[in-house]
Amino acid sequence: MSRRSLVSLVFILALAAGLLAASLAVGNRPLLGLDLKGGVEVVLVPEDDPDRPVAITQGDLDTAVSIIRDRIDGLGVAEPDVTRQGRRVVVQLPGISDQQRAIDIVGQTAELRFRPVCAELFAEPFALPDAEGNAEVPLAPQLPDPALDVRGLAPCPTGIDYNSLETSTSAEDELNRFVVLPQRDANGEVTSRLLLGPSALTGAGLSGADSSYRNEFVVDATFKGGDDGANKFDEIAIECFSGTAYCPPGAEGRGRLAIVVDGNVRSAPVVNAANFDGQVVISGRFSEQEADDLALVLRYGALPIEFQDPTDPQSDSTSRAVSATIGGDSLRAGVIAGIVGLALVFLFMVGMYRLLGLIAMLSLGVSATLLWVIVAWLGETQDLALTLAGVTGLIVSIGVSLDSNVVYFEHLKEDVATGRALRSSLELSFPAAFRTIFRANFASLIAAVILYWLSAGSVRGFALMLGLASVLDLVATYFFLRPCAQLMSRSPSLMAHPHRIGLPTREEAIPAGAEAS
Amino acid sequence: MSRLQRLLRNQTKVDFPELWKTTLKVSAALVLISVVALLVRGVNLGIEFEGGTVWEASAPDVSTADVRDALRGVGQADAKIQFVGGDVLRVRAELDATDATSVAEVSLALANLTGQTVDDVSFNSISASWGNEITDKAIRALIVFFIVVAIYITLTQEWRMALAALVAVAHDIVITVGIYSLFQLEVTPATVIAFLTIMGYSLYDTLVVFDKNRDYQRRSALVGRATYTRIMNTALNTVLLRSVNTTITSVLPVLSMLIIGTLVLGAVTLAEFAVALLIGLLVGTYSSLFVAAPAAAWLKERQPEFVELRDRLEARAQSRGTSVHEVEDVAVGPSPSRPAAPSSDRPARRPPQAGTAIPPRPRKRKRR
Repeated sequence: MSRRSLVSLVFILALAAGLLAASLAVGNRPLLGLDLKGGVEVVLVPEDDPDRPVAITQGDLDTAVSIIRDRIDGLGVAEPDVTRQGRRVVVQLPGISDQQRAIDIVGQTAELRFRPVCAELFAEPFALPDAEGNAEVPLAPQLPDPALDVRGLAPCPTGIDYNSLETSTSAEDELNRFVVLPQRDANGEVTSRLLLGPSALTGAGLSGADSSYRNEFVVDATFKGGDDGANKFDEIAIECFSGTAYCPPGAEGRGRLAIVVDGNVRSAPVVNAANFDGQVVISGRFSEQEADDLALVLRYGALPIEFQDPTDPQSDSTSRAVSATIGGDSLRAGVIAGIVGLALVFLFMVGMYRLLGLIAMLSLGVSATLLWVIVAWLGETQDLALTLAGVTGLIVSIGVSLDSNVVYFEHLKEDVATGRALRSSLELSFPAAFRTIFRANFASLIAAVILYWLSAGSVRGFALMLGLASVLDLVATYFFLRPCAQLMSRSPSLMAHPHRIGLPTREEAIPAGAEAS
Repeated sequence: MSRLQRLLRNQTKVDFPELWKTTLKVSAALVLISVVALLVRGVNLGIEFEGGTVWEASAPDVSTADVRDALRGVGQADAKIQFVGGDVLRVRAELDATDATSVAEVSLALANLTGQTVDDVSFNSISASWGNEITDKAIRALIVFFIVVAIYITLTQEWRMALAALVAVAHDIVITVGIYSLFQLEVTPATVIAFLTIMGYSLYDTLVVFDKNRDYQRRSALVGRATYTRIMNTALNTVLLRSVNTTITSVLPVLSMLIIGTLVLGAVTLAEFAVALLIGLLVGTYSSLFVAAPAAAWLKERQPEFVELRDRLEARAQSRGTSVHEVEDVAVGPSPSRPAAPSSDRPARRPPQAGTAIPPRPRKRKRR
């Protein structure tokens, strides 16, 4: 028994020390949040598109804000600050110094578009030699302006050698024009190009998308009901399904519909039904990753408006460093207050429970060390940012994690008071107290898992901290407090002087009156 | 023995059922005040929830403290101050952008500070950064959480305990939010996190108290000889010191943050958070003993077997011409706080002798 306790104690101390050393060695540091350390902000200004049928409304901007917020939430638990300031969308990201990385995180600034496929072209434009075998034929020039009908669609151009068409530039990539856009493989190499027709259906018509497994990995996309979504999709679908001039049939005998983001074709599935009623299943021998990615593009790439590219120096969109919103004075005040609070807790615990109090503080040290390591690691890998609220939450969890020790010590006192010998009390109280601690912490853990799973933004960050604190409390109690208690029960001098661990002697524990009666 | 000494030795004789009569009235009053305050005054939501106005001005050599002082003059001391790209000052405040006079006042203050004209200070409306969808998701998560925790407690204990625990958690949240509404303290995302922390703490604390109660209801020598409430009272007296100590260890850091951080070092941002936590921690411990416990006792006393027990005790009391309390006292012995339950997992095997404390169990040489 004694040896096992010693092994457990050495193990947990070595684990905490080893992880701390490793964490410091690789340079993991907790990532401080926007309020404490600042970061980078990306300002997005909407593209002024003269062809846009209706002006950009405040509602469009608000939708964009919530999509961008979702997108960043989907990446981890960094607590971004996404707001609409006038006509601009301002995204602030904590703990990042690299502006390009911030822009990458904010992600696609382009609209998601659906376009009927006119033809699939070779990866590079080329012209067939003319009748004399002369290859010096100039590349086929301009795509005609489409003759749009009321649905915003147009029949594919005829009389052009499609393969000689140049890939469209981003300036030419407009909803109401014919375009030639590349399709890329995982390495970003162009595998083929597609000649695409105009359409009026954008990501704004989507209400959601998710990947699922039904014999193979597929993507379920749901369109909003009515003329903005489902009806508009069906108008294109019926053309592709019938293989008309608007969406001519490919090798499969049906036309295809391309999903285009930022000038690249993400996917161009064959349309296998004339009427979808808003529920679209996209299949295509996807791997799980590909299905997830496509669902992500559909879900989060669906910005209702197009923003100017922040990487383009000519545009009004920018990225800049921002300072912390809470001054260094507040942070320093918080740290000093935390240290003073901890010192007071230390004095209280040692005064109250003597040696046991000291053990409780050491146990707290073990769980705090592990927590620091995990927070630093998550900050490095998952962009978990510590805000002031997070830091304070951790300070509160100090008090709560000491509770496990208090529960045990009080159990111990009670056992001694009922007349049990100190030695057996030390050992027997632990399982009973641990059950209580476990049940209570398990409830906290349930709370944490549910909140993390179902919520967003800073609530999610809170849930993570709550869950970590609960688990670490159990770990420290079981692997540190328990062996300590067992080792103490082996110490004859302690058994002779229960005052040293804050317990009354047996004579004091049992009130005189009770024994007399 | 002084009262403190008795507390330190878990030998208090607090008559909880008697106290409940008062505390339940106090709690009901506090909840009522909170609900009325919420209905009448609502809560004072911060810029993160409601949006406001943002000002920008070029300010190469101005410090955050200077800006804070300048803003204090126009009543916007709690504005968010940030420097963008090094030398552009950005101030965000919870002020409606259509409130032209107030907006102009701030613009003027910033212009004076940076030595520019008012036209050099641009302003714009700013939307909420805590979107409605975050609130919606959080509310949905909370509902699921309540359901799952109710199931969890029902499985590990029973539905009466689940109901009592959730009533206590709701009580704590309502009162804390109520105080924010009553004094119109600003609710920021940090405060919301504080409310959630309180919720977790309150639930945790209640479960620790209930666990002790369950131990006593199962193993106490009094089972079948005293009412449910009476046995719970014994359990609560035993767990009292633990509640007090845990509250002290949780409150000390928060109190230090409130006093040192806010008053001495003048960090305004810490205050709103610390206040929510302080109130919540105190109310959370209080509610375990004075809301969750009486609620559980009330529910249990309506369970047929405990009604029967009470009837039996009452009949005995009547035949002896005494009160139920005295009948119980005979069973309990003179001191209701004598911890009659062995706290470890071995149940009391021998029937206890009425009127005496449980004699010390003979020491065993070795366990297993």
